[in-house]
Amino acid sequence: MSNAPDPDADLMLRVKQGDREAFEELVEKYKQPVMNVVYRTLPDATEAEDLAQHVFLQVYKSAHRYEVSAKFTTWLFTIARNLCLNEIRRRSRHPAESLDATTPGNDEQPIRQVEDIRNVSPPESLLQGELEEKIEEALAQLPEKQRTAILLCRGDELSYEEIAAVLQCSVSATKSLIHRGRETLKQSLKPYLSSGAWSKE
Amino acid sequence: MNEVDYQELREAGWRRKLTPAEAARLQGWLALHPEQQMEWEAEAGLNQLLSQLPDAPVASNFTARVLQELNRETAGVPDRAEPAGWLARWFRRPAAGLAWAAVLMVAGWIGYHQFTKPSGTAQAHDLAVLFKTVGQEPSLFEDFDAIRKLPQADDEELYAVLNVQP
Repeated sequence: MSNAPDPDADLMLRVKQGDREAFEELVEKYKQPVMNVVYRTLPDATEAEDLAQHVFLQVYKSAHRYEVSAKFTTWLFTIARNLCLNEIRRRSRHPAESLDATTPGNDEQPIRQVEDIRNVSPPESLLQGELEEKIEEALAQLPEKQRTAILLCRGDELSYEEIAAVLQCSVSATKSLIHRGRETLKQSLKPYLSSGAWSKE
Repeated sequence: MNEVDYQELREAGWRRKLTPAEAARLQGWLALHPEQQMEWEAEAGLNQLLSQLPDAPVASNFTARVLQELNRETAGVPDRAEPAGWLARWFRRPAAGLAWAAVLMVAGWIGYHQFTKPSGTAQAHDLAVLFKTVGQEPSLFEDFDAIRKLPQADDEELYAVLNVQP
């Protein structure tokens, strides 16, 4: 891990003193990365956003336990992952039918709609939109640990050591998770990889 | 460059776009190992796909809603995390109230009996005093056998017997 000072840690120390402005700064900075992980773990945009807000509230409430020895993002994504897992467990105990779930006889319908505006975009955007849906679907099929590892790795905000800390496993196990997840993704997205659809900029 | 370096470049590609220098090294490696060309193309293709994945939609008032919720929770509204509020609500539950009442009654009853009952120390002290007294006055037991052999006599007869003896 780098020994460079972590500006987020300074903000977090201010949050620890009850500084709301520092907290607001952290929320602004990390709402997107947190949503990117939570949204791809829970298949409902509204619930994902509620949970992401809860992540930040938890950060504020747990600020007194924060130690500078841990990088803020490691701590933040650990909270995010734990809350996601709690929600997944709660749902498995109390399953409820989702409005976005695929209905019998309509298997081609995607699990969730990412953005409606793509439906009225030019043909290139349609292709791009379809591709993105396929990637989302393929990611959704991965086991939670593999998916989270790939998403955290993709953002390049966390080192492998930090991703390992979030996932509570070793660095080699983390790399193995990423490797296995990527191999599954390659199989799922094989037509798009070989057709060169990905090369569109 | 060796196999380990190739793996490191591959893992770097998982996280970010390779620098021109890294890409050149990789191309040199692949020129010498054409059997890995296809594998690398699949890797690069997936890297490209994942990099194109859009950000999740975030409401424009996301931060405002977080702060609003935080203000609501810290403005005296009953807080789930606040121990005093949690206890107060727990005590308000009828079943919990009855349970506490029963516990308090049992505790009071036990306490009362503990208070009124002579303690073990006090009993030991009384016995010690008794034996000390008996030891100093053996005459107290002089009439013991006579008294023991008497039938269940009235008090008057007993007094009579006792009056004769001294």
